[in-house]
Amino acid sequence: MNNRRKFLEQAAWSAFGVTVLSGCGDPKKTDSVADATSESAETPATGKDGFGSAKRIIFINVKGGMSHIDTFDPKKGNGPGDILSTKADFQVTNYLEKTARIADQISLIRSMTAKVGVHGPAQYFMRTAFTERNTIKHPNLGAWAQHFLGPSHDTLPSSACINQGPRYGNGFFAPAFSPIPILDPQTGLENIKSKSRPVELKRNLDLASQLSAGFLEKFQDSNVSAYRDFYDQTMRMLRSKDLDAFDLSKEDKQTRERYGDSRFGQGCLLARRLVETGIRFVEVTSDGWDMHKDLKGEMDDICPPFDHAYAALIADLKERGLLDTTLVVLATEFGRKPKYEGDGRGHYPLCFTVGLAGAGVKRGFVYGGSDAAGAEAEQPVTVGDFHATIGWAAGLPIDKEAVTSSGRPFKIGGNKAKPILEMFS
Amino acid sequence: MNQRLIVLVSLLACGLLPLTAASKKKEARKARKAQMEAVSKARNAQMEAANLRTELKRMGPLPAIGNAPLPPMNKQLRLSAAQLATAAAEIDRHVRNGLTKAKQEPNPPANDEVFVRRIYLDAAGRIPTSEETEKFLNDRRSDKRARLIDQLLLSGGYRSHQFNWFADMLRFKSGIKRANFGLYQRWLKDGILTNRGWDRTVYGLLTAEGSLASNGASGYLLRDTGMPLDSLSNTLTLFLGANVSCAQCHDHPLADWTQREFYEMAAFFGAADVSSRDPRKVGNKIKDQHLSKQDVMHAVAQNMYRVKTGPKNLLKFPEDYAYDDAKPGSRVDPKLVAWEEGERKGDAYDVDLGRPKNYRDSFAKWMTHPENPRFAANIANRLWQRMFGIAVKEPIEDLDDLDAASNPALLRHLASVVVSQEFDLREFQRIVFNTRAYQAAANSTPAIGDIDEYLFPGPVLRRMTAEQAWDSILTLGFGSVIDGYQTDFSHQTTRFAFDYDNSSEAAVRQRTMALKQAGYLNASKKRLGENDLVDKRRVPQRFGRSYVLRASELPQPAREDHFLRMFGQSSRDLADDGSREGNIPQTLMLMNGDFQSLLTGDDSRLMRAASQTRNKNTVVEVLYQAFFSRAPTSSEQQTIRRAMTKGTTREELAWTLFNTPEFLFIQ
Repeated sequence: MNNRRKFLEQAAWSAFGVTVLSGCGDPKKTDSVADATSESAETPATGKDGFGSAKRIIFINVKGGMSHIDTFDPKKGNGPGDILSTKADFQVTNYLEKTARIADQISLIRSMTAKVGVHGPAQYFMRTAFTERNTIKHPNLGAWAQHFLGPSHDTLPSSACINQGPRYGNGFFAPAFSPIPILDPQTGLENIKSKSRPVELKRNLDLASQLSAGFLEKFQDSNVSAYRDFYDQTMRMLRSKDLDAFDLSKEDKQTRERYGDSRFGQGCLLARRLVETGIRFVEVTSDGWDMHKDLKGEMDDICPPFDHAYAALIADLKERGLLDTTLVVLATEFGRKPKYEGDGRGHYPLCFTVGLAGAGVKRGFVYGGSDAAGAEAEQPVTVGDFHATIGWAAGLPIDKEAVTSSGRPFKIGGNKAKPILEMFS
Repeated sequence: MNQRLIVLVSLLACGLLPLTAASKKKEARKARKAQMEAVSKARNAQMEAANLRTELKRMGPLPAIGNAPLPPMNKQLRLSAAQLATAAAEIDRHVRNGLTKAKQEPNPPANDEVFVRRIYLDAAGRIPTSEETEKFLNDRRSDKRARLIDQLLLSGGYRSHQFNWFADMLRFKSGIKRANFGLYQRWLKDGILTNRGWDRTVYGLLTAEGSLASNGASGYLLRDTGMPLDSLSNTLTLFLGANVSCAQCHDHPLADWTQREFYEMAAFFGAADVSSRDPRKVGNKIKDQHLSKQDVMHAVAQNMYRVKTGPKNLLKFPEDYAYDDAKPGSRVDPKLVAWEEGERKGDAYDVDLGRPKNYRDSFAKWMTHPENPRFAANIANRLWQRMFGIAVKEPIEDLDDLDAASNPALLRHLASVVVSQEFDLREFQRIVFNTRAYQAAANSTPAIGDIDEYLFPGPVLRRMTAEQAWDSILTLGFGSVIDGYQTDFSHQTTRFAFDYDNSSEAAVRQRTMALKQAGYLNASKKRLGENDLVDKRRVPQRFGRSYVLRASELPQPAREDHFLRMFGQSSRDLADDGSREGNIPQTLMLMNGDFQSLLTGDDSRLMRAASQTRNKNTVVEVLYQAFFSRAPTSSEQQTIRRAMTKGTTREELAWTLFNTPEFLFIQ
């Protein structure tokens, strides 16, 4: 679409949320990225059970590099933890005492492998499945889903991220595909109370819209129209009957305590509320896993609240009957070195563990594994494969290309990605 | 024989110990030894006490709590007006050549209203006040643009704006865990004030020796303590545009960098000890009934973070090194990279590779040498991007191939200007601000795929950085007075300075005790203290959980829920990570944020100005001047008059103008 036409279409559209959006059901309205079907068009085994069973996704981002050996891939005599048996096909360390009790609800991939060992680029890689470049930004899975499936809610955003800013969320898709950030789950959304009455607010927004006309005509600029789109979205959200989804105080005390009072725990509870309300993709970050020094001390601090919250989330989703249609992803940017360096472990991307639970995923299953040291992946799975697996579960056409405005074609997980269908029952 | 035996037996029977001649001797020796030990213990104790006294004497008295006075601002501009015009014209010639080749035309000049707002934001980091705008618009002199540029480059606003740029690039944080970077911040700010050359700045950062408490420049290497390879990767990218981050772990898949080359560069830092050391351990060792672990950690941390050069190069190839060109675990000898054949013969490469203790100095000399193949081009490219919105070579992190620039001749010329101005970044900006290219009307942002082909018919429309937006809002509320409020946190670390590495445990304990008794350990970081201000008489007003201080004077980075962060201030984890993208929380903040009261409250400078008249048209003019540095058009006047007749108040009008894109964008 040429710029002029795009501009006219958007200008004719409501500016500043004054008019109610008519086209919010159509993702193409805010998304200039086209689709193309490549040669090998057929999505693998779309008929197989499990495809599309994930109506919503909670993507847990364990930030800093979770040590696989000290958590989900224990090796005897290596590390401060003891080995715990579970009802599942795998053991964990006693740092995951509570997770061990729900282990029969989750599955692991113990043979993740990547090459990036620097936090920033590795985080980017795990969240997008693409290497960070300066010429293009890649989307996360929430934006991919919104691209192929459209918005998941008529007034709220389709993606959210908790405990972390919205960096890179939309990638090459429209900025409107960016996840809404909730930096602190206790506070929820900030600045939602307007100081003026609705009628005044509408009048002022009308005026702003009129006074912007000259500027908008002078600069038919994608960044400027993105700002306008954010006003639209913001107004829709503020008027939403579902705005309470962001408010944790609507949960009873018992439920709040169930998840633990950590930031990650309350983040998981908020994630559950959001997916329950219809926000499709929610990322929750758990911070503090970069354990170069004093690994034991750090694990003692960081892991118990994580374990508590993760186990509570799985159990709560199950009790509510949501687990069958909600995919809970447990991801981290890399593992940690099998060998101690001083009293901690360095970064280790060559072999690490991730988890999947719910939404048609087998229970208590392990795919792949690591050698005796935890250093080498057997049946290696790339980050691209992992994303394709999640995309497949969410019913996304993973063989379909999205062509960016600059003409570059991209697929979920990249060109070589293959979903690990063995993960599904 | 028998007799003796009998005696012995009887002695034993009496319960007395058998004292043979030999055992008597032993006894005597023992006694002598004990005596000697006691003497030597006493002597040792005396010596220890004496040593301790010497040590404490060497440590000297506690440093006074406070900040060293600021150096005077260097107000010396290099070029005369005529030289300046020639230099600017030369750049314009290169820009014009590029445009002509592509059959493109330059944009017409921006009008004065657009220019005054743009140059204030680009040189001083904030919008102009109404008075400043008016003064410029009413100036009838033909060289008024050049004059304004000079004025702004010599203002406090420039210092503030330039610091924000460095901070984003260098990932500046006020503190990391227990490390306090107050003195490092001071070093960077002083460098801007004295207009320290870029070559000297980088040389200083790379060769710094000492602790956070004693040498501010050490903060650069100590930012990455314990991660020397990441540190090098950042150094090469930031200062040379060398796209090396992949070569840290394996040969670069696209560029020519090999892992071996990366390690050879890292070897230049092989004798520098920048290892991370844990103050907690020291705390546990020294704490007693008088001193808590926290006290000790507080006292030693700033000294434990230090760069110290040793005699040996300790860098080895990693054990999992996968290539045939070196043995895993073997020592790495330093070697400088080159981009093209023949470069190694140049003067820049003529450095001492003999003694490991000189490696860092050699590396820094090579890097900052005028003939280094990338150093000048890199900073020129980065500054150009800042002024035009797009770099000559995008992305700025990859300058490996200069010919891949949209206009390679322009890039090479800009590099030569940086060299001829002796790495004076202020003068370089002065020249570029004076070009027709910079002073032309702005373009819309090209599509992302076309960015690396942009030929600069003018700058592109940019959203303000988070820092520019925050500083501009303060300007609306308080005026140019905000430029004068300055903080300095160096006293938070200098007060702890002592030679920790060569001090005994006893001396450290004594020192900590002295620090505690003198109240040095009590400093609260929660609120701004008297000592944090450069001018104690100028106390900025509190605003919510923040202060009315320009972004450069607030803690770095600002808290996650601060306006600055919502608007994309970098978390300072990654280099060049500030964002200009919008999001819903930002919109919510623009609409409903607390800081609205800065604009529309009774104390607001803006509202006071707007309420001085009852004439509606004048009110509109006042507000337009303040927000957009221009007069309203007649149709805007009409629209607003209509709205005001229907009840729109002045405050609401201010809110409305604030919520239009024209406010946040730089034309």
